[in-house]
Amino acid sequence: MADDKDVLRDVWFGRIPTCFTLYQDEITEREAEPFYLLLPRVSYLPLVTDKVRKHFQKVMKPDDVGEMWFEYEGTPLKWHYPIGLLFDLYASNTTLPWSIFVHFKNFPQQDLLHCPSNSVIEAHFMSSIKEADALKHKGAVVNEMQKKDHKQLWMGLQNDKFDQFWAMNRKLMEYPTEEGGFRYIPFRIYQVTSNRPFIQKLFRPVASDGCPHTLGDLLKEVFPAAIPQNDGQKKYQVMIHGIEPMLETPIQWLSEHLSYPDNFLHISIIPAPSD
Amino acid sequence: MRCTWMRKVSGSAGSADGYMKKTVLGRGKINTPSLDGSCKSEEDVCALGKETQEGAPDGSEWEALDAEWSAAIRYEYHVLYSSSYQTPVLYFRASALDGRPLSLEEMWDNVHPSYRRRLLHSPWDTITQQEHPCLGQPFFVLHPCRTWDFMSPILEAAQNECRKLNYIVSWLSVVGPMVGLEIPLSYATVASKPERTAAR
Repeated sequence: MADDKDVLRDVWFGRIPTCFTLYQDEITEREAEPFYLLLPRVSYLPLVTDKVRKHFQKVMKPDDVGEMWFEYEGTPLKWHYPIGLLFDLYASNTTLPWSIFVHFKNFPQQDLLHCPSNSVIEAHFMSSIKEADALKHKGAVVNEMQKKDHKQLWMGLQNDKFDQFWAMNRKLMEYPTEEGGFRYIPFRIYQVTSNRPFIQKLFRPVASDGCPHTLGDLLKEVFPAAIPQNDGQKKYQVMIHGIEPMLETPIQWLSEHLSYPDNFLHISIIPAPSD
Repeated sequence: MRCTWMRKVSGSAGSADGYMKKTVLGRGKINTPSLDGSCKSEEDVCALGKETQEGAPDGSEWEALDAEWSAAIRYEYHVLYSSSYQTPVLYFRASALDGRPLSLEEMWDNVHPSYRRRLLHSPWDTITQQEHPCLGQPFFVLHPCRTWDFMSPILEAAQNECRKLNYIVSWLSVVGPMVGLEIPLSYATVASKPERTAAR
């Protein structure tokens, strides 16, 4: 049986092999070769794609290089979603590498948030951490941290430093023993075909009788269609970090070990493969 | 009292999810859009804050300013409830009449100077661009985590004076003006009449 700490490492170091191709309507001075990169599942696109921008800038005139944005099969990719979530949601049952188109013009303002600098990513990241802590501890842990502690969480993510990040993040994963878990579990459930971006509700990790709630309990409450029926036909896959955790897994354990660095469980509901 | 707020329900009928929406036409300043649609960097936005400290214009500069500030802007305000913070949150966006969304820089231009300085210096009170949780589109949001700091004195005062309080109206009257949303006094006179019964 893997040690729980190994799970934390496996989640942090997950990578997705990706092929970046310049979109055909971008104006280049000579042919642009595709660029290959291993993307960290737990990070954000603008944080890890400087090399992509530099690669394509080499064959373009500076005037033609606007804000970079990414698209997969016609869908603009929301940079404020973690990379692993985007992959699980849109491309998890396709062959690798993940093929993404790169754009430098016609920024889709109705669909995507702007990302003019890394401090915007930092603000988003810290905002998620704050919200997660509001759910878990009424914000008590984040408020007790100093500004340098907040910085350490961000720098740990930005520089891919597992130990630096978790030295601080472990405080956000603590809870009073007598409670048996967090106040509420920070989670969001995503489904591509839905007309709303995600489902987020208040959900306690422990029932009033003291029994720990499971992933199955969460789904029953918030997305009952994802629970396989008795006839055995599985309509959906419930995916976190590219795996389908067993529905019997305690949700408190999932929150402590399979959350993204922003402290949220980002869960994808995707159609089960029909083969 | 004529009310121009609309209730919008998202999701299936009978769902508790939804938000209040109000659209306002106002006057303000918008830039000629840059050709590639890209936006300015954060340094430029901070520079705007510094500009407001240089003092108000006077004399003949008012006429030129008036022309500059005559563009028609369509503001959309949504009040949502954050279950994470257990507080209302104000989402808003603005567009030119041709539908072009205003940039963060243009939004800052249209925030009253006295609020602009305060908002820029306090990171947790600041305006950021966020995804609307029901519509999935980019909106600007006033960060909700300091709401309790300014609402609790208001709640306490109302309690001490045995005055009925409409939380949403009071909250909106504080945050709304920061982002150009006017709250008519009539909202307040309807919402918080003094109670004649004794305090509990």
